[in-house]
Amino acid sequence: MERLLIDLLLNFMSAEQLYDALDDPRMVAILIGAMVAVSGALLGTFLLLRHMALTSDAISHTVLLGIVVAFIVMVYGLDQEADISSPWLIVGAALSGVLTVYLTELIFRSGLVKEDAALGLAFPLLFAIAIILISRYADDIHLDEDTVMVGEIGVAWANANEHCFANCEEVVITPDHPKAETGRQCINCKPSGPYSPRDPEAIFKEICSNCGTYPASIAYTRGYIDTSPQIVLWPRAITTMGVITLVNALFVLLLYKELKLATFDAGLAAALGFRPGLLHYALMALVSVTAVGAFDAVGAVLVVAFFIVPAATAYLLTDRLWRMLVLSSFIGALAAYTGYDLARGDFLGIYNLDKLLVFLDKHVLDLGGNTTWNVHIASAMVMMTGFFFLLAWVVSPRYGLVSNTIRRMVQRRRFREQLLLMHIHNHENTENANRELALDTLHMHLNWSENHLKRMVARLRSRNLVRVQNNLVIMTDRGERLLQKIMQERISA
Amino acid sequence: MNDTRHAIEVNDLTVAYHSKPVLWDVDIDVPEGVLMAIVGPNGAGKSTLIKAILGLIPKASGDVKIYGKSYTQARHLVGYVPQRGSVDWDFPTSVLDVVMMGLYYQLGWVRRPGRREREMAMEALEHVGIADLAHRQISQLSGGQQQRTFLARALVQDAQIYFMDEPFAAVDAITEKAIVALLQELRSRQKTVIVVHHDLQTVEEYFDWVTLLNVEVTASGATKEVFTEDNLRRTYGGRINTLTRIAG
Repeated sequence: MERLLIDLLLNFMSAEQLYDALDDPRMVAILIGAMVAVSGALLGTFLLLRHMALTSDAISHTVLLGIVVAFIVMVYGLDQEADISSPWLIVGAALSGVLTVYLTELIFRSGLVKEDAALGLAFPLLFAIAIILISRYADDIHLDEDTVMVGEIGVAWANANEHCFANCEEVVITPDHPKAETGRQCINCKPSGPYSPRDPEAIFKEICSNCGTYPASIAYTRGYIDTSPQIVLWPRAITTMGVITLVNALFVLLLYKELKLATFDAGLAAALGFRPGLLHYALMALVSVTAVGAFDAVGAVLVVAFFIVPAATAYLLTDRLWRMLVLSSFIGALAAYTGYDLARGDFLGIYNLDKLLVFLDKHVLDLGGNTTWNVHIASAMVMMTGFFFLLAWVVSPRYGLVSNTIRRMVQRRRFREQLLLMHIHNHENTENANRELALDTLHMHLNWSENHLKRMVARLRSRNLVRVQNNLVIMTDRGERLLQKIMQERISA
Repeated sequence: MNDTRHAIEVNDLTVAYHSKPVLWDVDIDVPEGVLMAIVGPNGAGKSTLIKAILGLIPKASGDVKIYGKSYTQARHLVGYVPQRGSVDWDFPTSVLDVVMMGLYYQLGWVRRPGRREREMAMEALEHVGIADLAHRQISQLSGGQQQRTFLARALVQDAQIYFMDEPFAAVDAITEKAIVALLQELRSRQKTVIVVHHDLQTVEEYFDWVTLLNVEVTASGATKEVFTEDNLRRTYGGRINTLTRIAG
C-alpha cells in the first residue's frame, strides 16, 4: 500500500525531493493534520446536520474499548504479537463505535431518559470498561493517558518505514572484502575461558570485526559503498490517515445523494428503500475509524474539534450541502496548516507570540527569560479552527454578527418610520389631530425621546413623505401611497 | 377480488409501543381512485397507520398489500408526504434539491440527479405554483411554501398512491384551497390519496372516502355512508358537542 502511494508520488517528484519533504517535521505534521481535518470535516458535516455533534465525542472515547478488546484478542486469542497499527484494531474500533450508538438508542428507546442522557449513560460505561481492561490485561501497550487525550502529531515523521528505490543492494562484507576490518579476539578469555585479555596466557586470533550483511542505507553511511541509495522514509501515519481520508471521501462522494436524503428526511429515505439505518451505522463506523486513525496524531479529545468546528464554521458561510462539505474540509486543512505555525508562536504571519512573552516577561510576570512560544501542536490547530469559527461568526454575510447588526438596525429604523406614518395616517383629519400630531408634543404620544422624533421627522421630510404645516406633521400624497403599499405587503405576507 | 380494485388492503394490523397498542387490529380496504381522510382524536394512531403501511415502523401483527403486493415490491407505486415538522428546515439545501429527492428512487443507489431530473422538478414546482422559489434555501420558506415543496416532491414521484401526513397543518386558507385542488386533480387521474386530516368541518367537502380511527377503526367507507354523528361519537368519545352540528 505504502509502496503504491510512493510510486504514485514519484511520478511527480524525484526520490530526493520526496525524502526531503518527508524529512521535514513541519511538512509531515501539517499533512497529517490536514488529512485528519478533511476526513473529520466530511463526516462532521453530516454529524452536525443530524444533531449528533456530541456523538463524535462519545465515539472517540469508546473506540478505546474496541482497540483494547482487539488487542487482547490478538495477543491472547490469536497468539499474534501486539501491534498497535494492526488492522484488527480498526475493526475493533469500528465495532465499538457502532456499539456505542446502538446502546445509546437502546437506552433511549426504553423511554426512561432523553437522548442526551442516553448518550451520557452509554459512553462512560464503555470507556470505563476499556480502562479496566487496559489496567488488567494490557498494561504494557503504548496507550498512556497522554496519547489518549491529546496525541503527538509533532513526532509522527519519526515513526517511519524505510523504502529504497535505487542502489538498494545489500552489502556483504567478507574477510577478503577491501573494506573488511580486522581485529584480534581472545579465544580463551572470560566468559568462556578463565583469562582476561591482559593475562599473558591469553591467546588471540585474527578476526574480521565488521563482517556481515548490511542494508544499503547503513552500508552507505559507513562508507562501504560510494553511491547513495535512494531512500524514502515514509511516516506510517500518512498511510493510515491517507487511506481513511480516501475512504471517507469515497463514502461521501458515492453516497452523497443517499446521505443527504437520509439526513434531511429519514422517513422518506426509508420509504424509498434507501436504508437510512444502515447508512447511519456506516457513518458511525467511519467516525470511529477516523477517530482511531487520528488517535496518535491528535488524541481522542481534540479530534472532536476536527469533526465539529470546521463543519459548524462552513454552516455559517453557505446554505448548500456540497459547498458546506468543500468549505469545511478547506477550513479544517487551513487550520491544520496555520495551527502548526501557531504552535511555534506565529499567528497567521501577522503577529509573533514570542513578542507577547517578551513583554510579559519584562513588565508583568517573571517568566525567567523563557520567552519562546512552543506549545502542543494539535491544540494549536484546534485553536485555529476556533479562530476561523469566530471569524465566520463575525463576518458571515447571512448569519454574521456584523451583517445581522446592520440588518437589524436598518429594519428597526424602517419599522419606526412606518410606525410614525401609521400614527399620522390614523389621526389625520380627526378632531384631536391638533393634539396628536403637533410637532412639539408628538414624541410624548409615541413615548419616544424628543430628539429621536425630530430626527425621524427630518428623515421623512427629506424623503418628501411628510410635511410640517402650522406646527402639525401631515402626510404627503407620496407618504400616503407608500403606507398603502406597505399595508398591502403586510397582508399578503 | 371484488368488482372494485383495492389500492390498499390492510389486514389485522396491530402496532404496539412496548405492550401498549397504538393500532389495534386494523382492517381497511381502500378502493383505487378515492380521496380518503383518516380522522380521529389526538393519539388515535393516524400517523402511525401511514407509517406502518409504509413499513417505517415495525408491525406487531398483520400485513399490508399495495395493489396485491407487499410494500417493498410496490415502493415505486407509493408517494409519501411526511409531516412538515418532521424535518429540519435549516438544512443547507434548495427547494429544487428537496423536490428532486422524490426522484431518488428512480435513480437508485449512487446515481446522481441530472438535467432531466432538474426539469422534472421544475415542472412539479410550477404545478404547485412556487417555481420562482426553486433556488431559495428552504429555511426562507413560509409554512405554506414548505408544504407546497413537499407536495411537489411527491408529484415528481408520479406514484399511484399518495400518503400525506397532515398537509393542511398550519397553512393559510389560500394554500389549503390550492392543496385541495391538487388532491382532486390527482383523484381525477385515478390516483389514490390518503390524507391524515384534523379538520372535521371540511371532511365532507374535500374527501369522498373516510376512515374513522381511534386505535381501532370505528368506520371506514364512503364519506356519505360512514361520516355520521353516531360514528363520530364512537370515535371521539364524549367530546362530541361541537361535532353534532357538523354531522347533523
